[in-house]
This record gives sequence, C-alpha cells and structure tokens, in this order.
Amino acid sequence: MKILTCPLNGPRPVSEFFYWGEVRPMPDPAAASDDEWADYVFNRNGAPGVKREWWCHTPSNTWFIAERDTEKDLVLKTYFYPGEE
Amino acid sequence: MISALAVSPVAEIATLLAPADQPAAVARLGLADVSLTARHGCKGPGTVAWLQGLGLPIPPQPNSWLPLDGGGRIARLGFTEFLIEGPDALIAPLVSAPRAAGVYPVLRQDAALILGGARLDELLRQTCNVNFRPLELAARPVVLTSMVGVGVTVIPELRNGQPAVRIWCDGTYGHYLWETLLGIAVELGGGAVAPHSFN
Repeated sequence: MKILTCPLNGPRPVSEFFYWGEVRPMPDPAAASDDEWADYVFNRNGAPGVKREWWCHTPSNTWFIAERDTEKDLVLKTYFYPGEE
Repeated sequence: MISALAVSPVAEIATLLAPADQPAAVARLGLADVSLTARHGCKGPGTVAWLQGLGLPIPPQPNSWLPLDGGGRIARLGFTEFLIEGPDALIAPLVSAPRAAGVYPVLRQDAALILGGARLDELLRQTCNVNFRPLELAARPVVLTSMVGVGVTVIPELRNGQPAVRIWCDGTYGHYLWETLLGIAVELGGGAVAPHSFN
C-alpha cells in the first residue's frame, strides 16, 4: 500500500487522495503571447523528475502540495500551499 | 441553514434486534442510527470569532472536539470548519443566529451512526485504513478518513467501558454504509440496536 502524508491528517493510504496535476503558474493572459498561452493551456510536462503537484485528501477536502520524484516514484515532502494553512 | 432531517437516511432499512437481544449484541458489536440528532455545520475565516461570540468553546487543534454544556459536542474539522451536534435547544439558536462576515453554512444532513462493542476493532480492520487503537481518547481526536470507500468523520470514544466510534457521512451514502457495517457486525455476533442501548 502506498502511503501519502497529508499535512493536516497525517499518513494515509493513497486511496484517500486524488491528484490534480502539476503546479503550473498561469501566465498573464493579457501579456502572454499566443504561443505562451497555448503552451499553458494545451501542453503538460511528462518528463520524469521532481514535480510539485496538487493533491487532495478527499475525506477532509484538504488541498496541499506534494513534491514527488516521478522517476523514482518517491514523495519527497508534502506541505500546504503558501498562505493556505 | 436547516440541517435537521425529517427522516433518517437509513430509516427504511434500520430494522432493530428485539429489545431483549440488544444488550448482548451491544456487548459484542452494536450499530445504532442517530441521524436525527440536531446538528449545525459552518466554515470560513470568520467562523472561530462567530462561534466564540455565541459562547461556544473552540477546540484549539484541527481534528479535535470538545463537549458542550447541556450535552452535545463541537468538532473542529480542519482549520476553519466546525460540526456542532447536540440537543435541539442548543442547535436551534445557532441555526437562527445571524451569520457574520466570513461564516458560511455547511449542510449537515448526515447519516450519523454509533458503532461499538468488544469486537469493534475486528470490524474496523476490515473497513478502514486508520488504526484507532493507539489514539489517545483524552485528547479527543477527530479522524477524517475513508470507510468502505465512503468519506467519514469519526470520533473514537468509550461507551460502557467498550470501544465505540461515532460516525458521520454524507446522508446519500448512509444506506450503503449502514448495510455494509451491519453485515459485518452480524457476522461478528452483533446487530442493529437502539441508541440508548449504548448508555
């Protein structure tokens, strides 16, 4: 069983969580070029490596960030998005 | 927000054991429906100050609870969400009190259950990923987890010296959760009982 540690609820099986994708800062729609905007909307980075990802502990609806090495399948750390705790 | 239910989510299927059989079932593993208990949910950045203004104690830590004068309890779910449950005389003023800025109502039409008895741990090991035994009951913990795939709020406690849990879940899952838990409880020698059997 894979275990993920929620910053609020502690270690729980990964079945209690869902994944909401990599943290991707949105470019300013008014200032971004069409190429930059299209890249933000349509493209995702699938290269293995350390990713900052959104995860949610579903029973408590607690959203947080997990830094995960997708190459080694290791969770390095989990924490609240700054300002959310 | 009106959270009171006119009919329990499990009313149609909650057939209790004969009264004479209930004490023995509770000693092993009893399941009771307390969904009609009045409760109120609220959340938001202004909630702590609003509840304090209404004279309620605030559990200092997320995922903990405190008893209320006159019966009932207040549970802190996360940082700014609360579940208050108790007698109508306690909940009605909360429901009718004007809400302050940053206080949002949370509909709490839960299926609420009591599950307890000597064989509780055997059931929990089949249905839930959290080990409740090491939890320090004096710290009044609240556990938000998943039980047979349903998101639940759980408060572990002792009733008549036996381990027990209070469980709340979304009312629409109540039928499934009741049937599943009762099926296992019956296998373990227990059954459906009236809530006062635990007193």
